[in-house]
Amino acid sequence: MTRKGSPFKGAMTIAMKEAADHMTSARMHLIMLLVMLSATGAVYGAIGRITETTAEDPFLFLKLLTIAREPLPSFAALLGFLLPLVAIALGFDAVNGEYARRTMSRLLAQPIYRDAVLFGKFLGAMIVLAVALLTLWLLMTGLGILFLGLPPSAADVVRGLAYMAATLAYAGVWLALAIAFSTMIRSPATSALAALSVWLVLTVFWGMIAPLVAGAVAPIDPLDPMTMVTQYETQQAIARLSPQRLYGEVAAILLDPAARSISPLFFDQLQGAIVGAPLPTLQSLLVVWPQLSGMVAAMILLFTLAYVAFQRQEVRA
Amino acid sequence: MKRTAPWLTAIVLVLGAIFAYPAAVSAQEPRTAELTGFWLTTPHPELAIRPGETQSIALTLRNSNLPPQRASLEITGVPDKWRWSLKGGGRDVGAVIVGPDASENLNLELTPPEGARGDRIPIKIRARYGNEVAELPLLVSLSDKPEAGLELKSELPALRGTASSTFSFKVDVKNDGEESLFNLAANVPEGFQTRFKRGYGSEEITGLPIEAGASETVTLEVTPPRSAAAGRYPVVMEVSGGGASAATELSIEVTGQPEVSLTGPQERLSGQAVAGKESSFPFTLANTGSAPATDIELSASPPSGWKVEFEPERIDAIAPDSTSRVNVKITPSERAIAGDYMVNVRASSGPVSESAEFRVTVEASTAWGMAGIGVIAAAALVLGMAVMRYGRR
Repeated sequence: MTRKGSPFKGAMTIAMKEAADHMTSARMHLIMLLVMLSATGAVYGAIGRITETTAEDPFLFLKLLTIAREPLPSFAALLGFLLPLVAIALGFDAVNGEYARRTMSRLLAQPIYRDAVLFGKFLGAMIVLAVALLTLWLLMTGLGILFLGLPPSAADVVRGLAYMAATLAYAGVWLALAIAFSTMIRSPATSALAALSVWLVLTVFWGMIAPLVAGAVAPIDPLDPMTMVTQYETQQAIARLSPQRLYGEVAAILLDPAARSISPLFFDQLQGAIVGAPLPTLQSLLVVWPQLSGMVAAMILLFTLAYVAFQRQEVRA
Repeated sequence: MKRTAPWLTAIVLVLGAIFAYPAAVSAQEPRTAELTGFWLTTPHPELAIRPGETQSIALTLRNSNLPPQRASLEITGVPDKWRWSLKGGGRDVGAVIVGPDASENLNLELTPPEGARGDRIPIKIRARYGNEVAELPLLVSLSDKPEAGLELKSELPALRGTASSTFSFKVDVKNDGEESLFNLAANVPEGFQTRFKRGYGSEEITGLPIEAGASETVTLEVTPPRSAAAGRYPVVMEVSGGGASAATELSIEVTGQPEVSLTGPQERLSGQAVAGKESSFPFTLANTGSAPATDIELSASPPSGWKVEFEPERIDAIAPDSTSRVNVKITPSERAIAGDYMVNVRASSGPVSESAEFRVTVEASTAWGMAGIGVIAAAALVLGMAVMRYGRR
């Protein structure tokens, strides 16, 4: 039996409704308050550091996001750690929550396909994340203008926006993961725990696991110095399986115009190079383009996984 | 003349009452022409000379309206130990022939010995012509008083150098007259700059006091303009003051020098290149000097793994004020990272060389960008296929 019409009809309606629900939910309010407070603290610390030590810098508003002051990490590091929590909070009960509240059959009684439900849920959460990130960035820039007394330069703004887009893609990976768990696991609590444990493993423990695996896969031969390079590259490749690592590399390049590479460099590559000369924004983007596209592709694939699982499910519960 | 003179005089006398002054002047002229005779004269019959120095006294033998006269000269009254000689046309002479209406100049050179004294010593010069004698009595006094005068002596009056060098002349100024402040001036071709300094001092001066009989060393520094063409230029140094002045002629010879300048494409010293790919930058070599630059060799010191080629590799000659185009082909290393690198480009031709720091911005290869888009497209394709397979339920 073939069905007529676009499978995405009604997806935007669901997306807007989802976004509105998230915006007013206590869960979202609480977690955004947590993010907002820690981010403000990090940027406030950075401002204190900048006014104490920096005389002049063409990219002051990027430093705002990268400089850390004890005991708080920098804004960028904080976002890399906390944003997955926000994304998981938005997505962990996307599908199984509907079953738990017994609203799925009511929802599907509307003249829409199942495709539209999942697309709408994903898009709605992405809209909420985008709004939250934009607000956060504007807030931090405003804080910077207020305390530093300087307007951001055009390069600051362009790089900041590119960084925010990359952050949105990063959050999208975790959102797609949470939605995938919510379709495959019937209990919302279990899916939340599953998503959180993946987050914990990939953000906290992956940095320890990667060298361990690399040591086993590519052992160092003391007589051959090139094996050290091989091992480091293996370790880097394994570490890049974690989206947090990819995001960290993207942030490092986009927020530091003087950074030129994320791979290990040989001395001959640095001969004649002008250290500290800022890279054009487009070149910085090109340097981390593989990481960026990796994150976007991971987001799409995880969502496809959730989509396939959802489409094949028995919804008449 | 002889015939017109009385006639003229008559007219002049008639007009004289009206034009008294011009008449007097015109009336004088013909009267001197009427004089007939043979004279021996000198402008200064009474004079003072300094002992130990040779002084020349100008004598004039004048023949007016007489046939050519041979005059033999004799001099009496010169004290013992004084040396003297009569010079005519640079030779010692004893007799002179003076044509009609002509005059002959002679010099009597007197050299009193050092320490000689005396006042109003009469010296007689006689010129015997025919049966007659023309006599000229001179009264010569000896005085130790120096004669007013300035003397300039340059150690090295002709210098040679390039247009960018400073020519410095050391000139001794000797003051034989009264103590005075002397003004210094130099006459140079247009565009040349001059500075006066005292001896080895560093202050610029425009004049300096010199005591009587003393001498000072003045340094004259001449700086030619950078654009001065090769050639010889005269420099006249003048010193004046205390009623005396003196000048000395100096000369400088400017030798040409090539000057090579290297400029990048559109006067910029930066360009963009892609790792592993050759980029060509048109450089301009200009000779701004005053002599042709020959055999210009081009070289570069790039970072390791880079390749820099020149087209052409060497240039035979560039004439002054002309340019030559060189293509610099830069191939960054395959492994060069995105960002700025410095490449030093040099052009050298014998004594002159010029180098330029060229900043190459290596751009990241877009191959990875394409691969990234491919990965995203593949992921989207998987999603699209999933929608096709499981969609619309």
